Amino acid sequence: MKKEIPLAITFISGVLLVLALFIPHKPFGNLEEIFNDWYIIVSGFTFLLGIDSLLGYNFGKLKRKEKDAPYALVLILSFFITLTWGIVEIVRTPEHNPFGPTSTFSLYFYNSIFIPLQATMFAILSFFIASAAYRAFRAKEINSALLLVSAVLVMLGRIPLGQSAAPYVITVIFLIFAVYFFAESAGVTEPKIKIAYILVALIFVALIYPLGFVYFRQHIPEFADWIMNVPQMAGKRGIMIGIALGGIAMSIRIILGIERTYMK
Amino acid sequence: MTSIIWTWIAAFFTLAILSFLYKDNPLYKFAEHVYVGSSAAFTILYVWVFDAYPKLVMGFREKVGMQKYLLIIPLILSLFIILRFIKPLSWLSRWSIAFTVGMAAGLGITGLTQGFLVPQVQASFLPLFVQGPTTGQTILLTFNNIIIVFGTIFTILYFYFSREHKGLLGVSSKIGVTILMITFGASFGYTIMARISLLIQRVYFLLHNWLGLV
Repeated sequence: MKKEIPLAITFISGVLLVLALFIPHKPFGNLEEIFNDWYIIVSGFTFLLGIDSLLGYNFGKLKRKEKDAPYALVLILSFFITLTWGIVEIVRTPEHNPFGPTSTFSLYFYNSIFIPLQATMFAILSFFIASAAYRAFRAKEINSALLLVSAVLVMLGRIPLGQSAAPYVITVIFLIFAVYFFAESAGVTEPKIKIAYILVALIFVALIYPLGFVYFRQHIPEFADWIMNVPQMAGKRGIMIGIALGGIAMSIRIILGIERTYMK
Repeated sequence: MTSIIWTWIAAFFTLAILSFLYKDNPLYKFAEHVYVGSSAAFTILYVWVFDAYPKLVMGFREKVGMQKYLLIIPLILSLFIILRFIKPLSWLSRWSIAFTVGMAAGLGITGLTQGFLVPQVQASFLPLFVQGPTTGQTILLTFNNIIIVFGTIFTILYFYFSREHKGLLGVSSKIGVTILMITFGASFGYTIMARISLLIQRVYFLLHNWLGLV
């Protein structure tokens, strides 16, 4: 029974929601709204499990007097200080909201502790992404070259100096491609392929002026928008449709009780 | 005076996190642990103020009749979650988790179908010839639509693993990879720019609000 009842709850709650979509009449009509409210309430309480795990782990570190026990103490203290501050503001403020405009919680904690920590944490990621990109973006084959080129063009299109910098960046990229194809041609013995490689290298050199110094100097923001709105959109749509199909399939498996990993 | 102290605190945490660029150090670890601890408390407060209180407490106060008594079900399920901390009764928390999983699955089917699948497929059915005001516009708009329609199809085909990627499927999936690479590159560039703007904002805070140099 300890397994059957949860499986039945999952099945009934999942099926009722799907039924509510197809039967827009009472009692199913407002079922989605009611269930959604219940879901928000219950899932809110599941955060307590995460908090229990976080605090339990750090209290354990303190008990065992591990090497980084002082940091565990910092975490626990910052948790309880923030929580107490928030509760005090819930009681104190007229709107009972620590996130309200008159609350010291939002004025000082949110603006001077939470935002600096969060924004700087995300900001330093730009350095690590850039360093990862340096290692990953090698123009060795056409697909990774496309990755590099589209990233560079989108970045150039998003900054005010992009239009001035574009000709020089395009020159460097096209020269790299030209040198690459020229170097590759040296290792090819077939005369026709050798000529094709050299021709491609020459095309890259020939395109530097018309593309880099004429077109991109004027139109780099529009071109970056085009990348975002057309090829990027196509790829993203393919991924999103794939995610939707996968999510629906997984949901059906869960409702039918085929997928039971959440019971462990 | 108070605002000066809080500006210094904000500057301290900003510099503490930025110090990780040099190497992992005690200052960074301190700020990191403050961030995790305060974020956890922040989440609890947020869930209470915006979810549990208005839906549950206010629901009991404001709703009438059957709708009011129905709120006992999520209340009981929420209490069952807390029972996880009491060993002999911890199995009851499975009921609450089963409910949230079932709800997520049900919402997954309806939400993904209505919010993702149908709108995305609808938006992808574009005309393969578009008459623009000029010949150049006609060519550009038609070209864009062809890329969007076939790019979407080829990207989906790349993720089709029930058949070996040979022949027509192989060619289609190769074009799909090319489209994906442009997508990832563009998304990467876009993400970098978002992160850089955050960094500029933090540097501006240090130079303007804290040091008053700019």
